[in-house]
Amino acid sequence: MIKVKSVCKQFSGTPVLKDLNFSIADGQITALLGANGTGKTTCLRIITGLLKADSGHAYIGGLEVSKYPKEVRRKLGVVGDREGLYERLTVAEYLSFFASAQGLAGDNLEYALQSVREELELSKLWNRRTKGFSQGERMKVSLARALVHRPSHLILDEPTRGLDVLAARLLRRTLLRLRAEGTAILFSSHIMAEVVELSDTVLIMANGTIVDSGTPDELNTRSGSNNLEDSFVKLAYGQQVGKSQQGEVA
Amino acid sequence: MSIVDNIFSQQFRALAIKEFREVWRDRRALMIALGFTLLFPAIMIGSGALSFKVVSETNLNIAVIGSDYAPLLEKQLHGSGFQIDQLREGIPRELLEDKYDAVLQIGKEFESDYHRLLSPKIYLYIDGSSKSGGRGIQLIQERLGTLQKTIMQQRLSARGIAPQILAPWQLQVRDVSTPSSRGLAILGIMVPVLLIMALMVCSSAPSIDTSAGERERMSIETLLQQPLTGRQIIVAKVLAVTSIGWSGSLLSLAVLTLSFALLPLAEIGVQFSAGIIELVAMSLLLLPLALLVAVLQILLALRSQSFKDAQIQLSILQGLPVALLMIVNLSDIKLDSPTWQLIPLIGQQQWLSLLMAGEAISVSLALVGSLVTLSLVGLCILVGARALSRESLLGAN
Repeated sequence: MIKVKSVCKQFSGTPVLKDLNFSIADGQITALLGANGTGKTTCLRIITGLLKADSGHAYIGGLEVSKYPKEVRRKLGVVGDREGLYERLTVAEYLSFFASAQGLAGDNLEYALQSVREELELSKLWNRRTKGFSQGERMKVSLARALVHRPSHLILDEPTRGLDVLAARLLRRTLLRLRAEGTAILFSSHIMAEVVELSDTVLIMANGTIVDSGTPDELNTRSGSNNLEDSFVKLAYGQQVGKSQQGEVA
Repeated sequence: MSIVDNIFSQQFRALAIKEFREVWRDRRALMIALGFTLLFPAIMIGSGALSFKVVSETNLNIAVIGSDYAPLLEKQLHGSGFQIDQLREGIPRELLEDKYDAVLQIGKEFESDYHRLLSPKIYLYIDGSSKSGGRGIQLIQERLGTLQKTIMQQRLSARGIAPQILAPWQLQVRDVSTPSSRGLAILGIMVPVLLIMALMVCSSAPSIDTSAGERERMSIETLLQQPLTGRQIIVAKVLAVTSIGWSGSLLSLAVLTLSFALLPLAEIGVQFSAGIIELVAMSLLLLPLALLVAVLQILLALRSQSFKDAQIQLSILQGLPVALLMIVNLSDIKLDSPTWQLIPLIGQQQWLSLLMAGEAISVSLALVGSLVTLSLVGLCILVGARALSRESLLGAN
C-alpha cells in the first residue's frame, strides 16, 4: 500500500503541497491527474524519498519513507520524468548495476535480468550502449530498471510521454500484468484515454491538494460530464466546460 | 551498518564498477588526460632540449671590421662557438640585420695607440633585442678579457712590476653544489608542480561529468532512489575520478623520466637521481593528494549551477594550487620544516622535490602528512554525502 498522510511542502515560502492525503491499495493502478505546476512531481518525489515533507508522512508497504529510506527503496520501483540512463553502459551493465544495488546477487541476479529481458523484449538492445536509443527504447530500459528487483510498489511520472504506439502498448500491458500480480501502481499522466484504460482510481490534483478522487465513472457522474477530460477540468478548476467559448459566441 | 561494511558491500562494488566504467569510457575525459600527460611533458622537454641544442651547438656569427689593424685580437676570437668573418668595411647596424650576431669594430688608430699604450677603443655592436645578443657579449668579453689580462701582465713584468700589485686580492669562486643539489633546484620545483597539475587536469573532466553531468542528465535522481547511502555514492565517484587523475600523474611521471634521457642534463651540471624506489615512493605519495583533488572537484561541481558552470569554476580554480605552490616556493618560508610538510599539497610537493633529486625523506613525516590529507578526504566525503541530500540538487528550491 502507498499512503500519503497530511503532507505539506513549500519551496522558498511558496506552498506546493497543502495537506495532501490519499492511499493506494495493493493490486491497484491509480492515476494522478493535474495540470503542470500543481505539485505532482513533488508529491512523487516525497513518496520516493527524494524530497522531505515539511509536515506529514508518506508510507510504502507500511514503512514511513523518511524513517526507513533504504527499506522503502527496496520495495519501490520508480520511472521518473527523465529516464536516468547511463549512456556509456550497455543495457546489460545498466540493469545489472541497478539489480545489484537492490541487493540481488548470483543466480537471483541472473534470473532477474533474464526475466526483464524477456518481459520487456530487450534482447536486441541487450549488449548495446544506451547512447542514441529512441524514446521508446529508453523508456523500456528505464521500466526494466524499475522492475528488475520485482518491487511491490511502482511509481511512474508521465511514463508514456514521447512513446510510439508499440512502446506505449508494451508499457500498458506490463502495468496491467503487474496489477494482476498485486503491485500497487501510481502514475501521473496528461493522456486521458490512457488514464481511463489503465486506472482503477483517479486522483485529481489542483493547487497542491487532492480535490477529488474515484473511478473514472464516479468522477464523470459527480461532475455531470461524459468524459474524464471534462470531469477533470470541472473538478479541478470548477469551470463549466466550454462556458467561456459559449459566452464568446453569445 | 559500519562504514567499512558499507564500503565492502556487494552494492558498493556494483556502484564502484559502474562509476569506473562511466569514467574510463568517457572519451572526452580520456583525451584531455592523455593530451595533457603526454603532450605537456613532451613539449616542455622537447623545447628544453631544443633550446639547449641551439645554445650549445650553434656558432655565433661575428663580423670583425678592421681585423688587419689587430690580427692578434681577431686570432683570439677564433675557436669553438664563433664563426668569424673578416671585413674591411661595413655598417654595423646593417651587418647585424643581415646575418651577424655581433660586430666588432677596430679602428685605424688601434695599432699606433696600442703601441703607445693609449688604450685604444674597440667597439662591439650587438642587437640587445635578439636571442643571441646577450650570449654574444658574454662570450666575446670572456675571450678578449683573457687576452687583455695576459697582455697587461706581460707589460707590467717587462717594466719590473709584479702583476699581483695591481690586484689587491683575487676572488676565487668555488661552486660547492653537486649535480644532485642543482637537480633539486631545477627538477625539484618543475617536476612536482607538473605532476600536481597533471593530477588536477586529468581529474577535472571526469569529476564534472560524474557530478554536475549526472545532475544535468537527471540520472542522479535515479541513483538516489536506490538503497545506497550518500557516503557510498560519493566514495565510489571519488575512487573512479582518482583512478584517472592518479593514472594521469603516473603517466606524466613515466613520460618525464623517459624524457630526461633526451635532455643533456649532465652538460648543464644537473643530475636526475631518482631511482625505482624513489619513483614508487613518489607514486604512492601522490595517491592521497589524488583522492583529495578528486573529492574537492566533485564537491565544487556538485555546488555549481550547471555542467558549464562547473567547467568554468573548476578551470579557474585548478590554477590556484599551482600558483600557490609557485608563490610559496619563491618566498622565504622554510618549507622543509615538519609543520609545513603536514599541509596537503605543500607536503607532497616537498617530498616529491626531495625524491626527484634522489634525497631521503622522513618516512614518519610522510606517513603523518599523508594521514592528514586522507583525513581531509574523509571530511570532504561526509560533506559530499550531505550535499547529495540537498533538495536543490534535484532542481527543487
